[in-house]
Amino acid sequence: MKKLLGLILVIAMVLSMGLSATAEEGLKVAVVLSGATGDRSFYDSANEGLQALVASDLGIQGTLIECKNDASMFTTNLIAAAEDNDIVIAVGWEFWDALTEYAPQLPDTKFIFIDNGLDGVGDNLMSITYAQNEGSFLVGYIAGKLTETGKIGAVGGEDSETINDFIVGYRAGAEYAREGCEVQVQYAGTYDDPAKGKELALALYDAGCDIVFQVASRTGEGVFEAAAERGLYAIGVDSDQKYINPDVIICSMIKQVNLSIEQAVTAYATEGTWMGGQIWVADMATGLIDVGYGDDTMTQQVSDELKAEVEEIKAQIIAGEIEVPTAFAG
Amino acid sequence: MREFLSVFSIGLFQNTLRTATPVVLAALGVLMTDHVGIMNIGMDGMMLCGAFFAVLGSCYLGGWLGGLVLALAVGLLLGAFFGLFVVKFKSDEYIIGVALNIFAGGLTVFLLRTIFGVAGAYSGTDALPIFGLPKINIPLIENIPILSDLLSGNTLLVYVSWILVALSYVLIYKTPLGFWLRAAGEHPESLRAAGKSPEKMKYLASILCGLFSGLAGAHLSLGYLTMFTENMSASRGFIAVACVIFGASNPPRVFLAALLFGFIDALGLRVQSFNVSSNLTSLAPYLVTVIMMVWVVWRGERKKKRLAR
Repeated sequence: MKKLLGLILVIAMVLSMGLSATAEEGLKVAVVLSGATGDRSFYDSANEGLQALVASDLGIQGTLIECKNDASMFTTNLIAAAEDNDIVIAVGWEFWDALTEYAPQLPDTKFIFIDNGLDGVGDNLMSITYAQNEGSFLVGYIAGKLTETGKIGAVGGEDSETINDFIVGYRAGAEYAREGCEVQVQYAGTYDDPAKGKELALALYDAGCDIVFQVASRTGEGVFEAAAERGLYAIGVDSDQKYINPDVIICSMIKQVNLSIEQAVTAYATEGTWMGGQIWVADMATGLIDVGYGDDTMTQQVSDELKAEVEEIKAQIIAGEIEVPTAFAG
Repeated sequence: MREFLSVFSIGLFQNTLRTATPVVLAALGVLMTDHVGIMNIGMDGMMLCGAFFAVLGSCYLGGWLGGLVLALAVGLLLGAFFGLFVVKFKSDEYIIGVALNIFAGGLTVFLLRTIFGVAGAYSGTDALPIFGLPKINIPLIENIPILSDLLSGNTLLVYVSWILVALSYVLIYKTPLGFWLRAAGEHPESLRAAGKSPEKMKYLASILCGLFSGLAGAHLSLGYLTMFTENMSASRGFIAVACVIFGASNPPRVFLAALLFGFIDALGLRVQSFNVSSNLTSLAPYLVTVIMMVWVVWRGERKKKRLAR
């Protein structure tokens, strides 16, 4: 009797699973983050993109999966997401290995790789990379114009290609604005230790820098505190972070991960467009890379004239008149 | 070379002090339990809870004092909880320590998202600001050039930590209570024979440890920074354990060990500007920890050999 009951239960469960799977309609999209939401920056932006898709009338069902920087979860979560979803968006360069290995083995799922380019892996994988060097050029230009000491700094999360792409652009922008402008860089080696970020920024301010660009996720929150303590300035990253402390954050380099995700998925859902096997470089021309100054209610340290200059440079970069160096080889 | 010497500025020593203070406070807690024979590796989690509840108290209980009180209260609870499992239920202290760390990570993330409605970080809003600990200027030293930069103008808990180092030393080595605490770890049977309960001493140490963890956390989120971010203790609790072992649980020596750690950390981030890879410099504190441990073991072995002779 017990066995029979067990069997019935199992059958019921299997059936209900099958039923629930067929009862749901629409595209299923999962966003897998290598880190976690709450950085008020990169990952939160990716999540915003997903939420906007869910809220749109495309009938998309969204799932968010956070790996919380636990490397052992990258592959597991990616495969788990692929089993239940039509499109899996892997956010973070950390998924490089996992995607190279598993994307070809899961041909029924489409993968979007955010923040690093992988080509030649398979038609089910497209990559979106961002010209953060171009955006950083603009904030570097602003910093170069506004610095009084002729010294500016940057705090990077780690000494890696993607982070250095910001730094290289920032350096070039500062040099373009003010010849011989000195740029000092400090790497934290961690993305979630704001105390360390604060120390690094204080060291930079002590060395004579008066503006510091943070490219370090939550570690970077400490940079804003250091700026407030010293009465000096900082620059935000990825999202428009000015609201965090309008008095010290003069502007932010914006990398609109959310819009790029929205555009890529919408194109697939409505027109069936899919850039399989390709790398889409979201550069300044796409409008996804920009500078944010918060809104009008906030204190503005960047004058309207300087903003106009930035717009001009933007046009020159789009036209190819200014070529911004990159940290990526090739 | 001259350029390299410029690294040794007043900023380096201020940085050393700032980096060391949370570790000192946490280490004082760890050494209390160490004396009664409990290895508390849950300090990191306890500290994280302290950091969160300090911010919570600062926001809702009207100021930094409220934050401090709440952090201490939660520390006391956690300490008692730790003691209950380790002393009363005789659970493995390592497992309880690991459990505490995981529990603290989960709890603070959950509460941050439910109470403050934000993920990741809370640094205060206009409607609900975080009040940080006050900075204190010391009247006489304030006017002496270099000393004032170092010794004056620090946040409250920096000074409290110095006082506590001295108090802990007196408590452990100069009072009967300290004698009983040490006996509970070294020779519980003798203590029992003398009519004192080793269990009570272990409870006391656990609760003291909890209180110190509350202070360490509060210093991190209200003194060092004025914000709470997920996992902000960033393994400082483990560094504290290493300092306790290195300093042989003697408060002033543990204090020096924490200062050494802070110094290496501060030095590490400054030599980055001389084209030393950041991956190497961020390794430095941990490398020093390993060297410290090897030295401790080597010294212990030598002592044993000398005794055997």
